[in-house]
Amino acid sequence: MKRIVLWLLSTISAVVLLFGYHTSTAGTVATTQQPVGASLSTTSTTTTSGGTGGSGGSGPNTQTGSTVTGTVAQTRWGPVQVQITTDAKGTITDVEVVQYPAGNHEDEQINSYALPILVQSTLDAQSAHIDMVSGATVTSEGYLQSLQSALDQA
Amino acid sequence: MSTAVATPTARYVEHVMGMPVSLALRGRHTDDAAARGAWAEAMAALQDVDRVFSTYRPDSFVSRLARGEVTLDDCPPEVAEVLALGELARLQSHGAFDVRRAGVLDPSGVVKGWAVERATRPLRALPDTDVCLSAGGDLVCHVAGLASPDWRIGIEDPHDPTRVLAVVPVRNGAVATSGLAHRGGHVVDARTGAVPDAIASVTVVHDDLTWADIDATAAFALGRDAARWLRTRPRRRGLVVWADGRTELVG
Repeated sequence: MKRIVLWLLSTISAVVLLFGYHTSTAGTVATTQQPVGASLSTTSTTTTSGGTGGSGGSGPNTQTGSTVTGTVAQTRWGPVQVQITTDAKGTITDVEVVQYPAGNHEDEQINSYALPILVQSTLDAQSAHIDMVSGATVTSEGYLQSLQSALDQA
Repeated sequence: MSTAVATPTARYVEHVMGMPVSLALRGRHTDDAAARGAWAEAMAALQDVDRVFSTYRPDSFVSRLARGEVTLDDCPPEVAEVLALGELARLQSHGAFDVRRAGVLDPSGVVKGWAVERATRPLRALPDTDVCLSAGGDLVCHVAGLASPDWRIGIEDPHDPTRVLAVVPVRNGAVATSGLAHRGGHVVDARTGAVPDAIASVTVVHDDLTWADIDATAAFALGRDAARWLRTRPRRRGLVVWADGRTELVG
């Protein structure tokens, strides 16, 4: 059991490293980037399946993935909370915003710039569950090879 | 309002102005006469813009204006509107963004975002329907109400366009990216004519695509100053990808 807990913690620290969320105001440099869920706490909802505690068998291999909800991060726009799903190998497969700035979500016109950009270097298009791709101008000639083309055919 | 939940996404693609235009619709009107009518209207709006503004068509108003064959007063009022936006962008970007380069008029840097933003109007008018309209990688999102899920926008990795570098959830707003990934040497610093080499791409998230697109292009043209300049821009969020692969969040 202990090994599993340790593994989860190491997953969480990986998450912390991967997700930059800029909370500072104008004029500061990149080093002020503050990770979302830097304080992922023990009150996080952590669901695992397959990991019944065992006898410390093979660690990560006993897992089939998990979903971790970070604590609420205070940003200049208001509180933001992010939920991260990992697969059995600890690779992040999904990221979702579960709490928005403007708190109670009553304001349906949540400003576009108020939501976080989630930087994730290991996300491939298939696992990212994206609807559209923003990228440097895709020409009609280049379209067939593009990610957007794959999405349009999905 | 709640009808927009968990409905399949319908997708449409057509090519206009030399680029693919992709539409995703969720909610009440995805594949009916109303949806197809709004899509046709949006495409017609883009084709109209192309006829007036294209620098590839010798008979467009902008081409004739550039050759001095017509005056601004002869052109549809939209031409003056776009040129005014371009002038504002030039001033605000300290000259890095300019619709006139080496004396040649080319307002394409303003036209695209502005045109796509306008083209979404008939689509936004579809009741209880979520809309995401992308033209060559610059896009507008609209959700019908509280029950609608976010649109999830992947930001392409400029060093590997088959991968997504970041995800941004958007409800009502726009995302524009400027970079060299698909079209080498497309954006230059108007002050020097040089292609920025410190930077791989800039993505800007903002309320409307007109300014998201202008700012992405201007920030890219500013090269090393991209992130610093974007931080001075109100109500923008952004992602700068440097040539060495580092990423920098803004906002």
